[in-house]
Amino acid sequence: MFSSIHIYFYVIPLVAAISLVYSGTRHESTTRILVQAARLFGVILGVLAASTAALLLVNAWV
Amino acid sequence: MNQRTSVDLRNRSIAAFLSFLVPGLGQIYQGRTAKGVIFFVSVATLFVLGMALGDWSIVYWRWVNPLKSLEKFYGWYLLQLPAGLLALPGLIQATLAEYGMDPILWGWQAEPSQDQINSLYPRLGKLVEMGTIYTEIAGMLNVLVIFDAWDGPAYTSDTGRAAASVAATAPQAVEASPTNSAAVSAEPIANPGV
Repeated sequence: MFSSIHIYFYVIPLVAAISLVYSGTRHESTTRILVQAARLFGVILGVLAASTAALLLVNAWV
Repeated sequence: MNQRTSVDLRNRSIAAFLSFLVPGLGQIYQGRTAKGVIFFVSVATLFVLGMALGDWSIVYWRWVNPLKSLEKFYGWYLLQLPAGLLALPGLIQATLAEYGMDPILWGWQAEPSQDQINSLYPRLGKLVEMGTIYTEIAGMLNVLVIFDAWDGPAYTSDTGRAAASVAATAPQAVEASPTNSAAVSAEPIANPGV
């Protein structure tokens, strides 16, 4: 079942859980936790996507 | 009452222990139900998903002295263990096996046979490592959850500023707030003339 999913997509639940728990330990308000978690989720995925793109670009060059 | 965050932590030792057993249970005990549910869903989902990725064979423990046989030492479990009851059966099964007893709970989280371990990578490939990482991260995240049950959130909910810096820059304001009256009355004023 899992083998049909590309390995890159396995990072999504990992980042989601990290974002939620980290934000939960920072704030008390549920709304603030969810907003902060969504923001953190986007930032982490953005950084990962950018670094992956850079590595793939370098890999294609070499 | 936590002086920095105005959160009623009740008995923080019990809360921390409950959060160790079941992620988020300590927060629910403290009346922070939504937060407890968020923690439980996040940590438990990640842990169970990780176990499923590893064909339910990547969370186990074996009693081995790492100084004598490092290759048999399964150190990943030390990172999985903070997930509490999600990982504790592995420790119980290993202890039972150490004393020559049969596994309980239908062998749940008992150490797999060497053939089973050897067949994991050919069958599943990178999913074994991914599942191991999931369960380890879940265990580490629960350390944060336990700490949250013990000491409350890092930031005050109204301002979003770091609670530690608030307490450091304005200790008088924190002590004089009406929500911390118990703490103020319990601590004598050192220099009332100032």
